[in-house]
Amino acid sequence: MSERAARVWAWIAAAHDDHTPVSVAALCHAAAQRLGVDGASVTATGGAALCEPVCASDDVSARLEELQFTMGEGPGADDFRAGSPMLIAELDSVAAQWPGFVSAAVAAGARAMFSFPLQAGAIQVGILTLYRSRPGPMAAEELADALVFTDIALRLLLDASYGVIGSPGYQPPDGKSESRPEVHQATGMISVQLGVSLEEAYARLRARAFASNAALDDVAAEVVDGRLRFGPGPQPDQEP
Amino acid sequence: MAASVDERLAQAFVELADTLVVGFDLMDFLHTLAERSVELLDVDAAGLLLADGRGALRLVAASTEQARVAELFQLQNDEGPCVDCFRSGQVVSISNIGDSDMAKRWPRFAPAAYEMGFAGVHAIPMRLRDQVIGTLNLFRIAPDGLDQAAARAARALVDVATIGILQERAIRQQELVAGQLQAALHSRVMIEQAKGILAERHRVSPDQAFLILRRYARNNNHALTTLASDVIDGTADIARSSSQARSSSSQARTRRPPQGQAGRPARPEPSSGPPS
Repeated sequence: MSERAARVWAWIAAAHDDHTPVSVAALCHAAAQRLGVDGASVTATGGAALCEPVCASDDVSARLEELQFTMGEGPGADDFRAGSPMLIAELDSVAAQWPGFVSAAVAAGARAMFSFPLQAGAIQVGILTLYRSRPGPMAAEELADALVFTDIALRLLLDASYGVIGSPGYQPPDGKSESRPEVHQATGMISVQLGVSLEEAYARLRARAFASNAALDDVAAEVVDGRLRFGPGPQPDQEP
Repeated sequence: MAASVDERLAQAFVELADTLVVGFDLMDFLHTLAERSVELLDVDAAGLLLADGRGALRLVAASTEQARVAELFQLQNDEGPCVDCFRSGQVVSISNIGDSDMAKRWPRFAPAAYEMGFAGVHAIPMRLRDQVIGTLNLFRIAPDGLDQAAARAARALVDVATIGILQERAIRQQELVAGQLQAALHSRVMIEQAKGILAERHRVSPDQAFLILRRYARNNNHALTTLASDVIDGTADIARSSSQARSSSSQARTRRPPQGQAGRPARPEPSSGPPS
């Protein structure tokens, strides 16, 4: 695991308070503390529409989420189209693009916003939004840390549906296995084998790795090589 | 020989410049660039790796989709000419990775490259002003360095790649660079997912699936990234085209690549088979 990933994970663990050690809420609070910003929030999305606020570190963040949702405007909405973070050092500079949103956001206390899609290719599960009350870009180190936060947040949102968070041995992503091409290829293959979405296929792949205490990329390699197939039914996985 | 490298280079630039302006698709552009690099620089495999924003390098396009060669590019995240090049911002040029001091310098990478049949390894930095955003990594079976003309051409190709990625006219600020890099990485992941879907559907390897995808994109004038997205959401129906995809699979299985074949792209040529 990289030093950076280990450090970010430690921040999240330290932020847990009375939350479970590894939760999206803890992640939000850690992000607000450590990234040179004033607040952080995570929204879960279904497809490309902003849906459900998951957590917010403070009232301003919560308000920004609400504004984006009700107005349908703002950096979060644009994230998924571009597939890249929207880093807005000065909100006024994008006033022409989102007139309603920018004036309301500035009124709420935000002058800079940084919005990160939580995604793996076509799998889009949410958005991490950071804001600052003073304008200015994120520093390079903060940006690198923020990207690790997004890797972890993606993982937490995906794994939450399988109840594996908080189990002993639950590990942060090491940043290497998750980004290997076999993982994404296996996800595609599993989605066809099971007739499910990529998101569900990815979650199933991860759950399988967790349950068998195997590395994600090892299980993915087995799928890509055809040694492991996923089939429908109560016993989801079959070895040929 | 130098004149013909320059002529072919000029031709390659015309081709790349066309893709830069008309219906620009970054993934197609980078794949084309990787493939042209192989011909122009007289090497056997080329890969473009981009900084992932978290301190590591990720392969986004290569002259071959053969998994073993891709692995060799990717292996250099921990050690190897690529990571040295990335950190120093300087060209790293190795004539023979099989030399004994190479294994001391790169104990995992050097033997792995040698086992694959490669001797020459070169890494050229992709730079934007002070920032290194990635590397062009070249593998050569013959144990010579890049000659002067090729080294010049490599630097020119790397600059073209950087421009394609950053669309320099529009780039003023750090944030835009970061966003563009993440977008490129994101496109690559979508292509990998589409490869998996096609591989399962047509019962071929992911490498072959990529060839199917690319050939379909070209024959039907689709952007590669958009096509990948369409495959994923089910709006593209690509019939398997059996002959060309199958014939390249036997090359993918060889452990020690025969002379001249390691990493050679199976470029879809109109003359070598029926149009799909």
